[in-house]
Amino acid sequence: MQYLLTLFIVIFFQVSQANVQTEQIAPDFNLLNTYGEKVSLSEFKGQTVVLEWTNHGCPFVAKHYKTQNMQNTQGEAKKANVVWLTIISSAPGTQGFVSNLEANELTRSRSALPSHVLLDPKGLVGRSYGAKTTPHMYLIDQFGVLKYQGAIDDAGGRGFMFKNLSEAKNYILLALDELKKGKKITDSITKPYGCSVKYSS
Amino acid sequence: MINIISKKPYKSLSLKLSFFLILLSTASFSLWSDSFFKASDSTIEIISESKTMNAGDELLLGLQFKLSPGWHTYWKNPGDAGEGASVTWSLPEGIKASEILWPGPETIPVEPLMTFGYEDEITLLTNISASEAAVFPAILKAKISWYTCKDICVPQEANLELTIKGGDKRDTSFTNQLSTILLDLPTNLPSQHRVEALDDSYFLQMELKDDASINSAYFFPEEYGLISYSKKQITEINNNSLSLQVPGSEVDLKLQKFAGVLLLNSQNSSQFFNVSLDLGNEQKAEAFSLMDLVITIVFAFIGGLILNVMPCVFPILSIKILSFVEQSEGSRKKMIQHGLSFSAGVLITFLSIAGLLLVLKSGGESIGWGYQLQSPLMVTLLIYLFVAIGITFMSNLILGGQLAQLGNFTQGYSDITGSFLTGVLAVIVASPCTAPFMGSAIGIALLQPGFSTVAIFISLGMGFAAPYLLLSFYPSLLRVLPKPGAWMETMKQFMAFPMWASALWLTWVLSGQVETDTVLMVLLGALLIALSLWLLEKNQSSEGFIKWVAVSVATLLLGSALWLAPTDYENTQDKSSSNGDSYTPELLEELLANDQPVFLNFTADWCITCKVNEAIVLNQTSIKSALKSKNIVYLKADWTRKDAAIADKLAEYGRTGVPLYLLFSPGGVPTILPELLTEDILLSYINEIK
Repeated sequence: MQYLLTLFIVIFFQVSQANVQTEQIAPDFNLLNTYGEKVSLSEFKGQTVVLEWTNHGCPFVAKHYKTQNMQNTQGEAKKANVVWLTIISSAPGTQGFVSNLEANELTRSRSALPSHVLLDPKGLVGRSYGAKTTPHMYLIDQFGVLKYQGAIDDAGGRGFMFKNLSEAKNYILLALDELKKGKKITDSITKPYGCSVKYSS
Repeated sequence: MINIISKKPYKSLSLKLSFFLILLSTASFSLWSDSFFKASDSTIEIISESKTMNAGDELLLGLQFKLSPGWHTYWKNPGDAGEGASVTWSLPEGIKASEILWPGPETIPVEPLMTFGYEDEITLLTNISASEAAVFPAILKAKISWYTCKDICVPQEANLELTIKGGDKRDTSFTNQLSTILLDLPTNLPSQHRVEALDDSYFLQMELKDDASINSAYFFPEEYGLISYSKKQITEINNNSLSLQVPGSEVDLKLQKFAGVLLLNSQNSSQFFNVSLDLGNEQKAEAFSLMDLVITIVFAFIGGLILNVMPCVFPILSIKILSFVEQSEGSRKKMIQHGLSFSAGVLITFLSIAGLLLVLKSGGESIGWGYQLQSPLMVTLLIYLFVAIGITFMSNLILGGQLAQLGNFTQGYSDITGSFLTGVLAVIVASPCTAPFMGSAIGIALLQPGFSTVAIFISLGMGFAAPYLLLSFYPSLLRVLPKPGAWMETMKQFMAFPMWASALWLTWVLSGQVETDTVLMVLLGALLIALSLWLLEKNQSSEGFIKWVAVSVATLLLGSALWLAPTDYENTQDKSSSNGDSYTPELLEELLANDQPVFLNFTADWCITCKVNEAIVLNQTSIKSALKSKNIVYLKADWTRKDAAIADKLAEYGRTGVPLYLLFSPGGVPTILPELLTEDILLSYINEIK
C-alpha cells in the first residue's frame, strides 16, 4: 500500500513538478536528517526558513563552499535566527548522494552551518519544489509562505568560474533583510544556476 | 636510425634527446599557451579562416570544442541547469572581438529536467575586426571557461592564443568549415509568424511555403521564466501553416518578448531561425491618469451625497440634525462646531475603512486575490449579493436593523462628542444600504495605488457629510429638506432595480466564463436565495418552532445556492464561438441559393490552429459584429469526429485537414482565407463583401 502511494505521489509530481509559486504556501514535507530524525517544514512555523539544494560534487556548489560564500550566508542566517535546511535530492548511485556519516563529515570539514541536512534520495521534495539546480534556494517566511526562489546570488550565467562571489549580489541575504524590515522582496524570483539535481529517473 | 641504435655510445644520447623533445612538445601545450588545449573529456581549439589579415579587415574565428562520447556542453541558455561557455579576450589595440555567435542547440534531457546544448563537436563563432590602429603580428589571447557534463559536470578552463600576421587574408584548412558553420547560424525567420498566449501555453504560428516539407519544430527560449523547458512542445502542421504549442514557464516572469531560436525539422534537414516577438506584457499604463482620478473622486463625492437619502440613514440623521440645531439654541458658532465634528466623525470612519482595505489588499495580494476577483465564484457571489440586496429593498425584511438602533447610543453624549460619534455611527449605520455604492468604490480602490484609495474614500466621506456641514452653516435650509415619510420607502424599493440590473450584467459576465448549464445553476441559486429571504421575511414576527423551521429552511436554501456556485472557469470556447450554425451541405446550398453571404469555418477540437484562431479572432466581438452588419451567416463545420460530408467539402478545396476558412460572397464564389487569421485580415475580407 505504501509503495502504491509512493508511486502515485511520484506520478503526480512527474506531472505537476515544479509548481511552487512565490507568495503562496510552500509545500510541507517530512524528511530524515543526517541523524535519522524526522524533520518537517511545518515544525518551523513562526520562523523564517531557507532551503538549500546541494550536491557537494557539483562544481558550482564546490565553489560556493570553497570561497566560504555559502558558509557566510548560513552564518548570517543563523545570527538572524533563521532555520537553514540543506537538502540533498541526489538519487543513490548519483553524484552528491551521501550517507549520514559522509554528510556530517562534509558539514564538519567545510564548517557549514545548516540547522539540518536532509536526505531526499527519492527526489520527492525536490520535485515538489521544482528544484532544478544545485544550488537552488528557497526562502519561506514565518507563515509558511514562499517569499523567494532561485539562485543564491547574481554570479550565475556564463563565466561563473571567473567571478568573485564576494562581489556578487546575494539574493538570500537581501531577501532576509527585506523580510525582516517588512518590505516587499525586490527580487522574489531569479534564475537558478548550477548543476542539474541528480534525480532518480 | 639503424645506425644510431647499433652504435651503443649514441643510444643514451638519443634517448635523452627524444625525452627532451617530448618534454619540449608537452611544454609547448602548457607553458606557451597555444591555440589548442586538451581537457579531461573535451578539447578546445581556436580555428581561424586566415592566419593573416590587414587593418580594416574582419576575420572569422571559431572556438571548436570536441567532446568525448556521451558528454555535452551548453548553449547560451543552458535550460534547467548547466552553463554555456564564456570567453574573455585580451586583445591588442585596434582589435575587437564580437560576442559569441551560437549555433542552434539540441535538446539534452536529464530526466526530469531539460537542458539545451551540444554533443560531439561544436564551434562557437566570433568575428574579429581590426581597425586602422591595429598592428600586426597581433596576438589574440582568450580565457575560456566551459562545462562538460555527462551525469556529472566538470568545469574546464583554458588560456589559448592565436597569432595573426599582417597581410591579405588567405584560406586555411578551416576556412570552408567556418563558412559552413556561419551559414548554419540561426537567421531571421522569413515567413509570417506570430505568437499568442492562451491559457498556460504560447502558440507560435507561422506560414509555410507550399514546398516546405517541415514535419516538426522546437523552440529554444533565450531567457529564463518564459517557457517550461521540460514540458513537451507540440507541433501541428496544416496545409500552409504551422502551430507550435509551447507550455509556459512554471515561474512566469512576465517577459516582454517571446525570444529565442526556432528549430524547423524536415525530412532530411534542420534549420534554425531567430524569433523575437512582443508579448504585449508591457506594464499597462497602470498609473491611472490624473483625469481618471479626478472623475472618480467627483463620482465618489456624488456617491457620498446619495448615501444620505438611503432609507437606513436618512431618518436617523435628520433627527440628529434637528437635535443639534436644538442643542445649539440658536448659537451659530455652536451649530458650526456640531457640523464640523460630525463631519470629522464621518471622515475618520471612511479613512479607517480605506486603511482596512489597504491592509486587506496587501494581505490579499500576498495570497493572490487579484485573480480571484474575476473568478466565476466571485462573480457568482456578487450576483447573489445583488439579488439579495434588491429583495431586501423590495421587502420589509430588516437586515441590519440592530445597527440602525445604534443611533440611539449617542443619545447619552451631548454636544460636540455626541456629534462626532453620530458621524462615526452614521457611516456604520448606513452600511446595510450603502453596500452597492461602497462596493464600486471598494472595487476601484482595490485596483488603485494606496493614495487613490485614500482620496476616493475621503471624497465619499465629504459627500456624505456635505449636507450636514452645509446645514450647520445655513440652518435655514432645513426648511427645504423633505420630511421623512412614505417617499423613502418608495425610493428604497426603486433602488432594487439598479441592484438587479447589476446582477443581470454580472450574469452576462459569468456566461463568458462558464457553460450555459452552469449559468442556469447560478440563476437557480439566485431563485433559492429569493425564496429563502421571502421565508425569512414572512416569519420575521413568528415565534418558537415555526421561526426555527423557517430560519433553518432559509439557511438550507442559502447553502444550496452557495453549493451551486461554480468554482472555476469552464471551457466555453466552443459555445461562445458557435453563434455559428452547424454546417450541412444542404444548409449551405440553401443559403447560397438565396444569395446569402456565408462564412464557413472548418474546425476541430484537436486542431490547435483552429482553437487559437477562434480564441483570438473569430470570438472577438469586432468580428461578430462585422459578420452581423454584413449579414453574413457564420457556419461551422466541426470535424472533431471525422465526418464524410465535411471531408468531401474539404476535398473540394484540395484539403485533407482543418483549418479551412471560406467566405462565400452573395454570388456563391468562395474566397479561401489564410490559415493564420488575424482580426485585420478577416475584417478586410469581410469588408469586401457587399
